[in-house]
Amino acid sequence: MKINLSKTSACWLAAAMIFSPCALAQQQPGLTATSIRIGSFGALTGPGYLYGKLAMNGVEVVFDQVNAAGGINGRKLELVREDDRCDPAGAIGAVQKLIFQEQVFALIGGGCSNATFAARETIEKADVPFLVVSSVHDGITTPPARTIFSTALTSTIESKAQVEFALDTGAKKIAVVSMRDSWGRARYTPLLEELKAKGVKIVADEEMSPDANDATAQVLRLKQADADAVIMVLFPKPAAVFTRDAQKLGFKPLLIGQTGIGDPAAFEDQVGVPGATAKFRTISMVKYTPDDPAVEKWRKLVEAKFPGDRLSVFNLFGIGSAQVLVEALKRAGPDLTREKLVTELANIREFPVDVYGAPITCTVEDHRCNKAPAWLAKEPAGPVKVLSITRVN
Amino acid sequence: MPMFCRRNVLSGLFILALGVPAFSNAYQLFVANLILIYVLLAIGLNVLVGYAGQLAFANAAMFGIGAYATALLQVHLSWPFYFAFPAGTLIAMAVGLLISLPALRLSGLYLALSTLAFAQFTQWVFSHWDNLTFGAGGFKSPPISFAPLPVSKPVGLYYLSLIVATCVTLFAQNVVASRIGRAFVSIRDGDVAAQSLGIDLLGHKALAFGISGFTAGLAGGLYSQLLNFVSPEGFDLFQMVIQKATIVVGGLGSITGSVLGAGAIIIILELLREAKGAQEIVFGGVLILFVTFFRRGIVGSLQQHFRGWDEPLHSARPIGSALPSQVRLGEKESLS
Amino acid sequence: MLLFSYLLLGGITTGALYALVAIGLVVVNKSTGIINFAQGELFMFCGFLAWMTHVQFGLAYPLAFIAATVGGFLLGIVTDRLAFRALAKTDIVGLVLATVGLAFVLRGTARMIWGGKGDYLSFPPITSPEPVMIGDIMVVPQQMAALAGAIAIMLVFAAFFRFTRIGKIMRATADNAKAATLVGISIQNVYTLAFGAGAAIAGAAAVLAAPLTLLYPDMGFSFFIKGFAAAVLGGLTSLSGAVVGGLLVGVIESMAGGYIDSSMMEVAPFLLIMLVLIICPTGLLSLHKTRDV
Repeated sequence: MKINLSKTSACWLAAAMIFSPCALAQQQPGLTATSIRIGSFGALTGPGYLYGKLAMNGVEVVFDQVNAAGGINGRKLELVREDDRCDPAGAIGAVQKLIFQEQVFALIGGGCSNATFAARETIEKADVPFLVVSSVHDGITTPPARTIFSTALTSTIESKAQVEFALDTGAKKIAVVSMRDSWGRARYTPLLEELKAKGVKIVADEEMSPDANDATAQVLRLKQADADAVIMVLFPKPAAVFTRDAQKLGFKPLLIGQTGIGDPAAFEDQVGVPGATAKFRTISMVKYTPDDPAVEKWRKLVEAKFPGDRLSVFNLFGIGSAQVLVEALKRAGPDLTREKLVTELANIREFPVDVYGAPITCTVEDHRCNKAPAWLAKEPAGPVKVLSITRVN
Repeated sequence: MPMFCRRNVLSGLFILALGVPAFSNAYQLFVANLILIYVLLAIGLNVLVGYAGQLAFANAAMFGIGAYATALLQVHLSWPFYFAFPAGTLIAMAVGLLISLPALRLSGLYLALSTLAFAQFTQWVFSHWDNLTFGAGGFKSPPISFAPLPVSKPVGLYYLSLIVATCVTLFAQNVVASRIGRAFVSIRDGDVAAQSLGIDLLGHKALAFGISGFTAGLAGGLYSQLLNFVSPEGFDLFQMVIQKATIVVGGLGSITGSVLGAGAIIIILELLREAKGAQEIVFGGVLILFVTFFRRGIVGSLQQHFRGWDEPLHSARPIGSALPSQVRLGEKESLS
Repeated sequence: MLLFSYLLLGGITTGALYALVAIGLVVVNKSTGIINFAQGELFMFCGFLAWMTHVQFGLAYPLAFIAATVGGFLLGIVTDRLAFRALAKTDIVGLVLATVGLAFVLRGTARMIWGGKGDYLSFPPITSPEPVMIGDIMVVPQQMAALAGAIAIMLVFAAFFRFTRIGKIMRATADNAKAATLVGISIQNVYTLAFGAGAAIAGAAAVLAAPLTLLYPDMGFSFFIKGFAAAVLGGLTSLSGAVVGGLLVGVIESMAGGYIDSSMMEVAPFLLIMLVLIICPTGLLSLHKTRDV
């Protein structure tokens, strides 16, 4: 009896779920006359917190500014954070909670590649607008999901820029040293594909763990292969260990970083061996490092809002992304709907943002809105310089 | 029999569980399904740790093997879920049996480390055997369809999990009440003594590992369907901590405790979402408080305060006794 | 041959870091029979304390060392009084879980206090940052300092256990807690002291290691698991065993990376440990073993 009863209700629920997108479109969840509820998910705990919690701090600072100036068409922005622990199950849980329980209007966030990728399906099915802050996995935006846009430099874009840069500097023997966890894997695979496409045969392909404390073995192998450029798909910790040991063992190739090591000044400090970073060049998702006077305004705001924190590039990711979302919300007008927000996101063209290398452009066909990696370098004891900004198509 | 006794409460929970899809949103259904999966994990782990006294850390790895095996059989060999699921479970069980081989010679912290090492090794295989596992980037697994039945995938999966969890609970309750359960407990309370009673140590340890592998495999198969995405980070040591927490909070050496502990921990973890940014601190604090003040877990407290909660063979060891004997085995040395 | 000596040296210097963690684990285990799963987090937390003293407040290096060791000692005592004391007689699974709980609390707290200050915080070395030549081989002086520190801490505690009254009491407690109680030893105090000492070692270790490892809230676990492996290889109660075990884990990693494949570095020590424990169930370096029934 009881089983039958609940089966029937289950069918009702199933039916309700099938029709829910239409129902939602009429009421516009998360929206009142005075507020817009925006959900954010990413790692608040665990090693991924840099790309989650710190990026969200940046988002929040932008929202505060908008609210202080009266909000968007009279509505104040309200940020709801959820932790995904950098874990696919955590991300699916977090996104479901934001969409079905917290009833948010739209999503901004996404730090860890695997987690965000796993959550894509849920977001897509619920038809909720989502702007990716820092996850780079290609699968999140390619093939494009109607409602999902990204201001992160996706890994293909980054890989193209890295390979182009190495070839432009005249490197003949390119080697790769990478982490093979989910973060590293999301970059490593497209990087190797790009190298193959360009007809480059790498001379060595080594691995390091995120917590590695020694890179003697890797350095010796690369040295033996006589590499003249090393693409480091590493977090700053293993990259610093690698750079230190390379210096120690007299191996001095061109060291090419990526957005994970977006701050050459901090990196020089982390390596700690004088002169070891002389041939280090890196990409940043944003064109400024936290010490740049141009981001002084944001430094003050972040450090006032989160006492004890120092402005970091991760904050800047959030700041840039939030500005794009705010712009799209403004353009969607006072009669806001999810549908309008998606349309406006897809119509953002050459929108200048404080922090990104180039203005942001999204289209209906291509939801990767940030395609301008900035190349940074720092002479030992000198200032950080923007070498160039690559435009990838 | 008193109203608030074990059997009535469990039946009540079962009836409640039957109705969950009717009054929950997609998120709540997801959490409810997660609880059922952790019930399976907790039962197997409790048989191994709580009953047989084996301080093993490989359950998260076996959970992962179950999930990977089920999903990979679907992806690589295009098996339908209904074949892949039992096959994946058997693979996880086989691995469980394999780990039990060294475990016969190892005890206490040495067993802990060797199983930890095995777990690290499994993680490495998941993220490095690209051709088989697709590496650390993970892969999507095809969702099951409950086609002729008029249910959506989440609801169908929920009922499938409920059926499996219920069967396993009943099965485990029978096992621990049987001769096998008594053998487990005697091994836990002293394997030399158990041996002198004529208990087959190897056989029973292997059986305990096998049971935990079996339930972890079932849980893994269902988990791969719940997420439709499988990647190594779901099966790391944090996963192991959650599972250990379920049995300690629920009550070691109790099947009912496993069920209640799984529910409690998953609900606690979800409620902790409110403690934005402080989850780790609160979660750690909850663990310490629980272990300090409810040493015998939820079930222990219930037994103290209500009648009708006694289970066959619940924690034969009196509270407040010394560390289990096997932990002390072989850890003495006269000089450094 | 040069390749071999480089790999060996690389392994030894990393191994010294693992040994530093393993010694702390052994000191606790030796007197309590418990493995403190929060040892890696204590290491991390004390490292941040030292960073705060030295880098943030600009105080002298010795003060940072004192802050880390004393801070560690107090942290160990407080957690023992708050949590472990009540647990001393509980199930081993519960105890393990309580130390895991402590690890979470420390990690979360560190993330809250220092997590927003940058991704990986650097800590200046006590020695010159420039590599120096020893024979044909270049070494970073700080790596030598870490190795010397590990050996010094090992010797200090070995002497402590062998020659001081408290040390003997602690050993007696570990050998037989009941008998120790009978002769008037307060087990509780011994436990408190052991946890305090273990955490103080973590503090000293952190100051030595921080310039090489950088500081971040999640650094603890990988150090704990390698340290645990080292301690088990060394027989769990032997201080010299912990040092040898640590160096061994480091060298295995390095050799596996150099001679097999760099993807093997992470997993090689664990494969070896599984093998070792199958052959030799109480560690490589344990000789005189008794089994109580």
